[in-house]
Amino acid sequence: MAEAKTTTAFEPWTDPNAVPYIEIRNVTKKFGEFVAVDNVSLNIYKQELFCLLGGSGCGKTTLLRMLAGFEEPTSGQIFIDGQDMAGIAPYRRPVNMMFQSYALFPHMTVEHNVAFGLKQDNVPKGEIADRVAKILELVKLGSFGKRKPHQLSGGQRQRVALARALVKQPKLLLLDEPLGALDKKLRESTQFELMKIQDQLGVTFVVVTHDQEEAMTLSSRIGVMNHGRIIQTGTPTEIYEFPNSRFVADFVGTVNMFPGRIVDEDNDYVRIGCDEAACTIFINHGVAAPPNAELWVAVRPEKIHLTREAPADARDNCVRGTVDGIAYMGDMSIYNVRLDSGKMIKVTQPNLIRHSEDTITWDDRVFLHWHASSGVVLTL
Amino acid sequence: MKRTTTALLLGLNLALAPLAQAEEEKVLNVYNWSDYIAEDTIANFEKETGIKVRYDVFDSNEVLEAKLLAGNTGYDLVVPSSSFAERQIKAGVFQPLDMTKLPNYKNLDPELMKLLAARDAGNKFLIPWMWGTTGIGYNVDAVKKRFPDAPVGSWDMVLKPENLAKFKDCGVSFLDAPGEVMTTIYNYIGRDTQTQKKEDLEAGVAVMDKLRPSIKYFHSSQYINDLANGEICVSLGWSGDVFIAKSRADEAKHGVNIEYVVPKEGALIWVDTLALTKDAKHPNNAHLFLDYILRPKVIAAVSDFVHYANGNLAATEFVSDDVKNNPNIYPPPEVKKKLFPNPTNTPAYDRLLTRAWTKIKTGQ
Amino acid sequence: MSRAGYVPLGERMATASEPLLRTLVRLPLLRWFFNTLGRFAISGRGAVVLVPYAWLLLFFAIPFVIVLKISLADQVIAQPPYTALVQWTEDTYLQIKLNLGNYLFLVQDALYWKAYLNSVKIAFISAFVCLLIGYPMAYAMARAEESWRNVLLMLVVLPFWTSFLLRVYAWIGILNNTGLINNWLIAAGIIDEPITMIRTNFAVYIGIVYSYLPFMILPLYSTLEKLDNTLLEAAADLGCRPFEAFLTITLPLSMPGVVAGFSLVFIPALGEFVIPDLLGGKDSLMIGHVLWDEFFANRAWPVASAVAIAMLTLVLLLMAGQRKLEEKAETAA
Repeated sequence: MAEAKTTTAFEPWTDPNAVPYIEIRNVTKKFGEFVAVDNVSLNIYKQELFCLLGGSGCGKTTLLRMLAGFEEPTSGQIFIDGQDMAGIAPYRRPVNMMFQSYALFPHMTVEHNVAFGLKQDNVPKGEIADRVAKILELVKLGSFGKRKPHQLSGGQRQRVALARALVKQPKLLLLDEPLGALDKKLRESTQFELMKIQDQLGVTFVVVTHDQEEAMTLSSRIGVMNHGRIIQTGTPTEIYEFPNSRFVADFVGTVNMFPGRIVDEDNDYVRIGCDEAACTIFINHGVAAPPNAELWVAVRPEKIHLTREAPADARDNCVRGTVDGIAYMGDMSIYNVRLDSGKMIKVTQPNLIRHSEDTITWDDRVFLHWHASSGVVLTL
Repeated sequence: MKRTTTALLLGLNLALAPLAQAEEEKVLNVYNWSDYIAEDTIANFEKETGIKVRYDVFDSNEVLEAKLLAGNTGYDLVVPSSSFAERQIKAGVFQPLDMTKLPNYKNLDPELMKLLAARDAGNKFLIPWMWGTTGIGYNVDAVKKRFPDAPVGSWDMVLKPENLAKFKDCGVSFLDAPGEVMTTIYNYIGRDTQTQKKEDLEAGVAVMDKLRPSIKYFHSSQYINDLANGEICVSLGWSGDVFIAKSRADEAKHGVNIEYVVPKEGALIWVDTLALTKDAKHPNNAHLFLDYILRPKVIAAVSDFVHYANGNLAATEFVSDDVKNNPNIYPPPEVKKKLFPNPTNTPAYDRLLTRAWTKIKTGQ
Repeated sequence: MSRAGYVPLGERMATASEPLLRTLVRLPLLRWFFNTLGRFAISGRGAVVLVPYAWLLLFFAIPFVIVLKISLADQVIAQPPYTALVQWTEDTYLQIKLNLGNYLFLVQDALYWKAYLNSVKIAFISAFVCLLIGYPMAYAMARAEESWRNVLLMLVVLPFWTSFLLRVYAWIGILNNTGLINNWLIAAGIIDEPITMIRTNFAVYIGIVYSYLPFMILPLYSTLEKLDNTLLEAAADLGCRPFEAFLTITLPLSMPGVVAGFSLVFIPALGEFVIPDLLGGKDSLMIGHVLWDEFFANRAWPVASAVAIAMLTLVLLLMAGQRKLEEKAETAA
């Protein structure tokens, strides 16, 4: 999906003239002494599917609740569609939210739950019935209208919650861990449903999740949060391939981290001395860091090649190690390799061949090598 | 002197113990009205005899009667009013007393015993404790302020509707005791006080209906406090209770001055009596206690303390002057002549009476 | 648990309470009881289930049968003051005499149904006022900060630490003509003459509402406290104003608490005797007082029993109705 967006060049954040739909300006939220959201500024554009990603307690839900109006910022401002939201009660905001717990009204049928928001807007009865029926069809719950929430499965409840939020045709839909309570299969199908609905209705989504995989598949952009701050904002590719900090690199996907210091640098390369790798790591671009500063080189497991023989291309970075463990995943295998320095490295290799006598196995001495462009140098 | 008597009695007690008392434990259970005994009466008896007295109190004849009829009260001696005791004797809840064990029985007032004989033929079951009248308690200043020429000393003050209406604003209470109130009214309107006739009851109800709007409430104990606090100013109540109210008001010193009067037309006389329950476990101890109570000095001390007259003729000389010369406690002979007892009601009349009373109270 | 391998679930559960049970079984009487049960193939667990039934039998069914029996007897001057229902006559005939007159009596005399009606009225209004006062209190408690809730709960229950009778007496001191309220109002120059409050129906309502308010607050609090706050957020999010959200979400979801609280106040208030006796005036006719009069003043135990049985029937009917309401509320929730 994210790929599809980029091909149609949906990148309003790159356009300096684009007007953000949501503008969060220096927002801070404190609960007593505790700072839940710390000076966050963020622009989200129309029709985006923006993910706030972070561990529990990172402030992502608080930020979402401030958009919905359940919390007021301690300082800073929030604009939605150009309007300052300060002092505007939740029931006056052009926003709908899908709660993590779904928050379905237990004493009302599915139909009444979905119709609830329309009744508040004094939509004529006939129209309510039409719209409720249509949206229930959309979430494939057409025949469940007369049931009570406790008679539904988890997935069905989640879809009722979604229908209830969507039926009001909000311009902005907030979703708090929308897929958290679902099993894996259901999650995947729901993810695609969500994206389809977003395409059909042209809604702007802000999704809160702790699940990086969910964030990667769903979003147009991701904001990674930690300790109340947004650490990095970017497309899933940017976040994955160009993390700006050890935290992001580590939180999104798996990474091998080598601490080290610059031993040699120029405009178009650096060499980083790294004790744990027992070599200097060559990076084929310049780094804006003071000489002798401590740095980290992050290398994703799938970017490392594993061979018995020394690599052909001598420009590659290369270290030696011994295979300590293998996890067979079907499509690929994960190798735990112990370097001679004792450091453990994760490497994934696609299982290109069905079966081979020559497969690398336990206790094999191996070469680990990666391209000079594969390592990311992190200063934070 | 006193010590020798005690020693003598103790000796006697010990001597008799193996014979008469067999295995009776040194315990006596007494059930009497609240605030109805001198502070040291029980203590002195215990000291003298070594019998431990468990002394419990109640505050309505009805509650006592319900316990007696249910049986197994656990009490040896109880103190019903004579009009209630009559029915209780019939129900068989008491046992006759052994007069040979009561040498002090001779001290009792023969006149009162004659009155009691109407309830207890042959005076077999009941020993008088205290007696009193049902009259008028009032707040002297409040009455004077509202009705300077009030016929104090006559039932006209409370039983004439137009007079009673004058006290409505300062509060009027009547006893919640249908028999006593209606009998008082019969006497006032010149009907037979002992009547069991429906038409007499109807005539009495007619009087009450006119009085009702001026009456704040019907209750048999609340009026003591209310009189003392100035919460109400006129009560149709029991003599001793009004005196309790008076002493409480005097103690509080907030300017409330309470008096009790036996109206000149005569008033209801009632006698509270000691009786021995049929299932009493300590009959011998009970007789010892009864004889102790029959001693003139003992009962005189009780009268002094509770401001009620006792039925012990020999005791009168030991009663303090304050009490024995108060015509509202010890009425002079000409008033005493006009006192009348409660009738003995048939169950049918009782029901009519209660029903009429509920109607009067609730206006239904 | 020396046997290895599979242990049935029931046995596994029983082992948890084993030490206690073993101690209990050691007592001779209980051993006899359990042995007897065992003979009838009732297990220890079955016996535990029996306890509430035994309780009901002992403290409800048996007294009820006794009262029912008395209500069918005749009044006599004796100890006890009613006739026996079953008697041997001529040594060989068993005679059963049932006197339905007492019930007939209740129907014939308007006093009784008026008293029932008045009791229902007073109990209903009191329960309703309790609801009006108790609901906001319970709501505020349930919405209070967590650290405060237990303190507030304690404060609600605190009056129970004093004698009920004393507390009602305290109201006499407050409502009297020379009581606190009137003294204040007169001292403040708001009124010249005391307002009569004591010995009126008003005082009875105050007494009942005051005494039974905790019974309203506690069940309401427990349902409101469990109420998921995100439901209200969801309602607000869907454009619902706070008051409307209260009507459409909070109120219907707290109905079980409302029904429970209402009956916890209504049912005991129906038979209330002490409060109308101490605070009420001559107009406060309630069935409790009629019953007292029958029992004590008339010594008519059979009629009093009939009054009680009729009242119990009334309460049971009302409870059946309440049960229906509760079921409705529960299915709604």
